[in-house]
Amino acid sequence: MSNSEPNSEPNAEPIIVLKDVDKFFGDFQALKKINLTVKKGERIVVCGPSGSGKSTMIRCINRLEQHNAGQITVAGHVLTDQIKDIDAVRREVGMVFQNFNLFPHLSVIDNLMLAPRLVRNTGKIEAREKAMSLLERVRIPEQADKYPSQLSGGQQQRVAIARALCMNPEIMLFDEPTSALDPEMISEVLEVMTDLAQDGMTMICVTHEMGFARSVADEVVFMDEGEIVERNNPENFFNNPQHQRTKLFLSQILAH
Amino acid sequence: MTPVLESLTLIIESVPQILMGFGLTLQLLFLSGILGLILAILLLLMRISGSAYLSAPAMVYIYVFRGTPILVQIFIIYHGLAQFEAIRESIFWAILREPFGCGVLALTLNTGAYVSEILRGGVLGVERGLLEAGAALGLSKRHRFIHITTPIAVRLAIPAYSNDVISLMKSTALVSTITLLDMMGYARIVYAETYAPYEVFTSLMVIYLLMTWIIQRAFGLFERRMSRHIRQ
Amino acid sequence: MDVLTGWWDDFFWGSVVVVQVFFVALILMVLFGLIGAAAKLSDNKVAQKIASGYTIVFRGTPEILVLLLFYFGSAIALTSIAQIFDPEIKYLDIPPFWAGSFAIALIVGSYATETFRGAFLGVDPGQVEAARALGLSNFKTFIYIQVPAMWRLALPPFGNHMLSLIKDTALISVIGLEETVFIAEQAMGTTGKPFTMFILVGAIYLSFSTIITLSVMRMEKYANKHLEVSR
Repeated sequence: MSNSEPNSEPNAEPIIVLKDVDKFFGDFQALKKINLTVKKGERIVVCGPSGSGKSTMIRCINRLEQHNAGQITVAGHVLTDQIKDIDAVRREVGMVFQNFNLFPHLSVIDNLMLAPRLVRNTGKIEAREKAMSLLERVRIPEQADKYPSQLSGGQQQRVAIARALCMNPEIMLFDEPTSALDPEMISEVLEVMTDLAQDGMTMICVTHEMGFARSVADEVVFMDEGEIVERNNPENFFNNPQHQRTKLFLSQILAH
Repeated sequence: MTPVLESLTLIIESVPQILMGFGLTLQLLFLSGILGLILAILLLLMRISGSAYLSAPAMVYIYVFRGTPILVQIFIIYHGLAQFEAIRESIFWAILREPFGCGVLALTLNTGAYVSEILRGGVLGVERGLLEAGAALGLSKRHRFIHITTPIAVRLAIPAYSNDVISLMKSTALVSTITLLDMMGYARIVYAETYAPYEVFTSLMVIYLLMTWIIQRAFGLFERRMSRHIRQ
Repeated sequence: MDVLTGWWDDFFWGSVVVVQVFFVALILMVLFGLIGAAAKLSDNKVAQKIASGYTIVFRGTPEILVLLLFYFGSAIALTSIAQIFDPEIKYLDIPPFWAGSFAIALIVGSYATETFRGAFLGVDPGQVEAARALGLSNFKTFIYIQVPAMWRLALPPFGNHMLSLIKDTALISVIGLEETVFIAEQAMGTTGKPFTMFILVGAIYLSFSTIITLSVMRMEKYANKHLEVSR
């Protein structure tokens, strides 16, 4: 599979800007002076060893974690302590978690309808139609009335993606979406993500799926010890890494 | 009469007398059960409010009521409150003058403290990730509490709550110490007349065990209903 | 506090009685709990049935009922036995102290049965297998691996059982044990200050509860030393 065309115009406006962002957990510094700009329609893959701060970084973008210093701007909103309505920002940012986090007490269709009904005051019929169309898009409309525990991991993760899309987000964050899956289920989730990328969604994916990074990403970001070590297009990132740490990481991850 | 026949006659005669208190036992159980649940929810909301002015008093309340014998709580309310003229002249005196009012109040205050801890356990048992997923979807704090935390916490709390309802039922027997004639109160009267502790008290024991069994069954069914999403 | 003048002594000795009952009942409670758990875990069907009957009955009936049945029942039994030897004897009872301690130990012991059983079953079987694979004998595996792990699991509920014991002590006043509630009832009659008297009793029991809670917290900290995150 060849690189898909970058679907962001060269001069597209930045939709996410992180400027000198620091994050501490007690004494431990998880993020060190992070600078990252993502343009509308860009698809970024973030990789790096465990504990490198990848998840923390994207969790700061929808303020599941609060950064301690620096500035984060998302779709024109600056994320500060004073921010009036963080929920308004979160509506624009969809998130997919490693452990799916589907609501166990709600059926698949109710998982999808909950937020539009409560947050956007969408009518029941309209919300249901929208949910069904998204379930078709992730190719499991027949599971609509089941409960999450009755689905396979791959199916659950596809429901989780559809649930996030129900809010019509401008940006999608993926936090290791395939790490908790059995190997045979990874591809079905990646296919859905690839579809989404081709439709022009702005995406940041934390993942170790290097094949996905090669074929879908506009840029690959490598993080280590709370820092962004290298950012490059996939071609150069894999064939001509600039930093020693990147080379080491790639040799370890591609060795098997 | 043979001793066995004599015992049997005693049991047959005493059970209807004991059952004269059944209505009162049920009233105490339901009234203080429902009022206690309301109190427990209030205490829980105070505890998780995030404000020290609300959570600290709730914590002290729970600590005191869980740390002292319920018999002492009943006596403080029944014997103790009358010591104050202000209370005797207040509108509450209409309730506090009656042993029934005192009994319901004491049982409510006591069970409220225990149940609020049970509910808190349920709330703390809700996976963090689910609340994060709710937040990521833009659900407000209130919406997350109502639509995610509450249904999951309720299911988690049912087994412990069922045990507490059984505890409450057992505690209702203590109102016989403040002159109320619940089943225990009648049993003590029958005992005083017959001096037959085995027959009288064992009969009462069987009645309470049946009630325990019914409560367990009822909550077991409720839990199964609430857990239908987990069954494959 | 003037109203308490002349009563301090009585409340002090009442408190001593509470402590005495607590320790006697604690030992008995552990004993009943261990026997009950052993019976439930045994292969003997009869022992299992008896033990589950024990837990169902004592967890499902009011404490005060168990207490009255035990006290008055034992008095009847004791009297009729005594009358075989001396027909002159009209009434003989087990002292409230012993009848009460025994009764509340039986009640709380039924809960402890489940705690001990759960703790035994809760030990990770992988640890036992690992110890056996290393060549430890059954006995050594039990002493060095299972018991410490069980103790950690049982400690929090065991703390609650101790709190139940101390609070149930108050009930024994109903059959005439001269602990603090009993004293307060007498003091209330002569002073006309029931609130003061029972609040004092509440404060005494709350201090005992606090001591137990703090001790259990210390023990838990000690038992879970290995779980502390190293820095």
